[in-house]
Amino acid sequence: MIPFDWVEPDTLQEAVALLDPEDTSVRPIAGGTALMLMMKAGVFTPTRLVSLAKIEKRYSEIRLDHEGVLHVGAMATLSDLEQSPHVKEHFKVIRRALRTLSNVRVRNVARVGGALAHGDPHMDLPPLFAALGARVVAIGPNGTREIPVEDLYAGYYETTLAKNELIAEAIVPPLNGAAAAYSKATSRSADDWPAVNVGVRVEMEDGRFRQLRIVVSAATEKVTRLHRTEEFLTGRKDNDRERVHQSLAIATSEVSFLSDAHGSVPYKKELLRAHLGRALIEARP
Amino acid sequence: VNQVGRSIPRLEARAKVTGRADYVHNMRVPGMLVAKIFRSTVAHGKILSIDVSAAREIEGVHSVVTGEDIRKIIPNPYFGPAFHDQPILALDKVRFVGEPVAVVLSTDPHIAEQAVQLISAEYEELPAVFDEVEAMTSSAIVHDELKPAGTFADLKHLAGRKNTNITLDYQLRRGDVEKAFGEADRIFEHTFKTGQVLHVPLESHASLAEPGHDSITIHTSSQTPSFVRTEIARLLGWPENRVSVRVPFLGGGYGAKVYVKMEALAAALALLARSPVKVALTMEEQFYTISKHATTFRIKSGVDKDGRIVARACDVYWNGGAYADIGPRVAQKSGFTAAGPYDIENVRIDSAEVYTNRPPAGALRGFGIPQLVWAYESHTDIIARELGLDPVEFRRKNLLRDGRPQATGTIMKDAAVEQVLDLLVEKMNWKSRFDHGDNASGIRRGRGIAIGFKASISPTTSGAIVNVSADGSIVLYTNTIDMGQGSDTAMAQIAAEVLNVPAETVKVVHGNTDVAPYDMGTLGSRSTFHMGNAVRVAAEDARNRLAALAAEVGLPAGTNYDVKEIFRKRYGMQAGNVIGTGTYVPRYTPPDPKTGQSDNVTPFWMVGGTAVELTVDTWSGDIYIIRMVNVVDAGNPLNPKIVKTQISGGAIMQLGFTLYEDMVFDGGQVTNASFADYKIPGFRDIPNMESDWVTSSQENGPFGAKGVGESATFGVSPAIANAIHDAVGIRLTELPIKKETLMRALRAAQGSPLPEDE
Repeated sequence: MIPFDWVEPDTLQEAVALLDPEDTSVRPIAGGTALMLMMKAGVFTPTRLVSLAKIEKRYSEIRLDHEGVLHVGAMATLSDLEQSPHVKEHFKVIRRALRTLSNVRVRNVARVGGALAHGDPHMDLPPLFAALGARVVAIGPNGTREIPVEDLYAGYYETTLAKNELIAEAIVPPLNGAAAAYSKATSRSADDWPAVNVGVRVEMEDGRFRQLRIVVSAATEKVTRLHRTEEFLTGRKDNDRERVHQSLAIATSEVSFLSDAHGSVPYKKELLRAHLGRALIEARP
Repeated sequence: VNQVGRSIPRLEARAKVTGRADYVHNMRVPGMLVAKIFRSTVAHGKILSIDVSAAREIEGVHSVVTGEDIRKIIPNPYFGPAFHDQPILALDKVRFVGEPVAVVLSTDPHIAEQAVQLISAEYEELPAVFDEVEAMTSSAIVHDELKPAGTFADLKHLAGRKNTNITLDYQLRRGDVEKAFGEADRIFEHTFKTGQVLHVPLESHASLAEPGHDSITIHTSSQTPSFVRTEIARLLGWPENRVSVRVPFLGGGYGAKVYVKMEALAAALALLARSPVKVALTMEEQFYTISKHATTFRIKSGVDKDGRIVARACDVYWNGGAYADIGPRVAQKSGFTAAGPYDIENVRIDSAEVYTNRPPAGALRGFGIPQLVWAYESHTDIIARELGLDPVEFRRKNLLRDGRPQATGTIMKDAAVEQVLDLLVEKMNWKSRFDHGDNASGIRRGRGIAIGFKASISPTTSGAIVNVSADGSIVLYTNTIDMGQGSDTAMAQIAAEVLNVPAETVKVVHGNTDVAPYDMGTLGSRSTFHMGNAVRVAAEDARNRLAALAAEVGLPAGTNYDVKEIFRKRYGMQAGNVIGTGTYVPRYTPPDPKTGQSDNVTPFWMVGGTAVELTVDTWSGDIYIIRMVNVVDAGNPLNPKIVKTQISGGAIMQLGFTLYEDMVFDGGQVTNASFADYKIPGFRDIPNMESDWVTSSQENGPFGAKGVGESATFGVSPAIANAIHDAVGIRLTELPIKKETLMRALRAAQGSPLPEDE
């Protein structure tokens, strides 16, 4: 390992200032669960790591505002999110998803901000948060902006964040009676990276799909929202099995699949059909 | 209180959970250099040049060592238990991607690692062979000449063979197979395959060699300290007493740490550098060190009108990789059970191990048996179903029972084959109606059963020393290695039972060739039986000597005197000790080399079986195991709690080899050489599982005990495949069972096969 600088700023603003918009060898480090693997494998050699461990405590808090909106500080661990009483009560889907995410030791260390900012399409939180209509608050040298999670990804390991922009918090709108599901397929062990994952948020009215958000990842280059599939089902009866079945064909056609060690494209298409099909049938308030 | 049969907690448990237990991986000594390895990037090639100049110039590098440097202190630096074929560092040729070619030494592992990146080598690539069946006839020859080590009599005839990749062509002939096939009512023939997989001990191989005055001490994570001492002494041309081998606890072994692994390299480097040298592999380097054989098994059976198997022919091909390690013995010692635990009059077995240009394969929990059971229990199930017979009833009709000859001619004894099957059937409530689910939900249910057996490797030797101190406390010296299986506890229980003390008070000194006697190795589930017998004999010897001493000082025989009193009376103070020794080597008749026949091929048999109930999601191809029951023949269990964890541990390990684990190759290169891409089972993969055993005293075992470390691995894979077939009618013949393979078979069966890829 080649020596590098390690800095521990006390505030998020200082952390932003210590990043370099041009230099890819300078990176922020939160839980480090992904970054350390990249460093160990020799695919990332830092010159400086900006640790976020000592920034303001408020960036680790998880709170529910009076409108039922969930605010998750970027430095909250995945375990904090899993154990949060607000999540237990109002966002059961997040809790269920987290329990299948890697293992307890990783969840105790990995941070929500890192899980959203890393850009690896195999991760669990991005498609789920995108399906829930969540957005992030990003802080850079020129101020603050909000980015919907579905627009956060530009490509494989690429985000729309600038190199000196940091996620401060994630904002998840209330479900307000909508059903939500997250489903993933692993082709090897249960704690493997998913071959396909899918997040679904469904609002129902009089036995019909009033509004849907369907987001797919893992089999793709980046988090992908399935607009055509959503439109195809909107306003249709939820017990119209034939329609749901037809929607699966649309879903597989609007996803750009990649084949890899987790499986071939035809296999992943079948997985998406199975998991989206089950999610649409089983996603009930 | 009986010491044997008590579920006492493991003696070392507290030391381990409080971080006090020693592991070589954590060891440091003053002046220690660490080694980092530069590895081959080609599968088969002549070494043209190795450029280490840039690496040598890095500040902090002590030295860079190649195979030619090793030759300066060890003129013939080839090692191995079966063949002297493996160079300490590659010489003249490389034979697999990942083979060690050069080493950088430094006090700083990061500097050594960085310097390794600056080494380059040029090779003239040679034709390579990767498949075990192709290697039988390939013109690509991995080794120019076979060099048997001479240790094993049954390999001597191979000396000097050229132009072949076959390291052993074991054969067994019983009855007249061809005639019986001619007379059979039905003939069935299938081919089964298994992939190459890894042991994955959480402590990787680590060896630390300290040169002394005319001596060397090697601290190593080894399952076979006695063998390491003999082999290092042979390589150096030294008497054995100048080589000390010490083994603390191991962070898992599973067969990865048998014979010589990093010890020869550490010893050679320490002697070259004249400093202590530690070679500690990373987890990822396990992919280039030792593995479990990939196999192809063609199996053919003839069945008569009554559903009796009258003949079975087995052709097994074992992919040994680039160096033989113990592979030829796997082909033979497991090969002779390839026809399964069935009473078959006519049997032919041809079991060949071959060199290929893959990482070497050796012993892994089961020593080849799980690959064989995979084939014969899948095959047996197919036959039963095609004959319209219940799979259990078909097995029962053909079962090999005590008193009947096994394929080698050895009469079966103390092998609870039928009792294991009975308990599985009872626990699964096999005779009840079974709901296979429906097609509308896409969830189908199935159940499967499989049993297997194994012979203990023979003949092997174990020795032990029991030392009774003047205060009556007891120290047991043994070279059996506790690698997590609980052997220290079991051995203490045996000594304690004989000497009538609580097992918790016995101190076990293990893994030190300077003080403990010879042991063949902690492998093949042999320790409980072999070392257990040696410990029992040693403890009885100590007890007899104590009694003699008591008589000498005038204590009447049979009285309840305190041990301290004997010593005090004899020496006038608390002084002296009594030493008991024990050696155990079972009787054995070497098999006829042409027919494999022997009247005593093994001292004991192991039996294990698994029954599984599962669902298959026909939409997603997911397999969900609802219930897995593992039952073994445990003899008379010395420590029931430890027996139980051996059963669950073995079953979980084989579950990984069944569903997840596979070394994926591209032109000899492992493409998933990390634990992000080679997946072992995690907690969420552990099914609802029951571990149980039948108690059937092993007459010649210590207090009726026998080994159980491998038995639960036998039936897992075929039980799962048989259950999948029961659920969806699809027969999978290759391990691991990949979900994509199942999905493709499901779609093909539904008339809409999936395209190759897009």
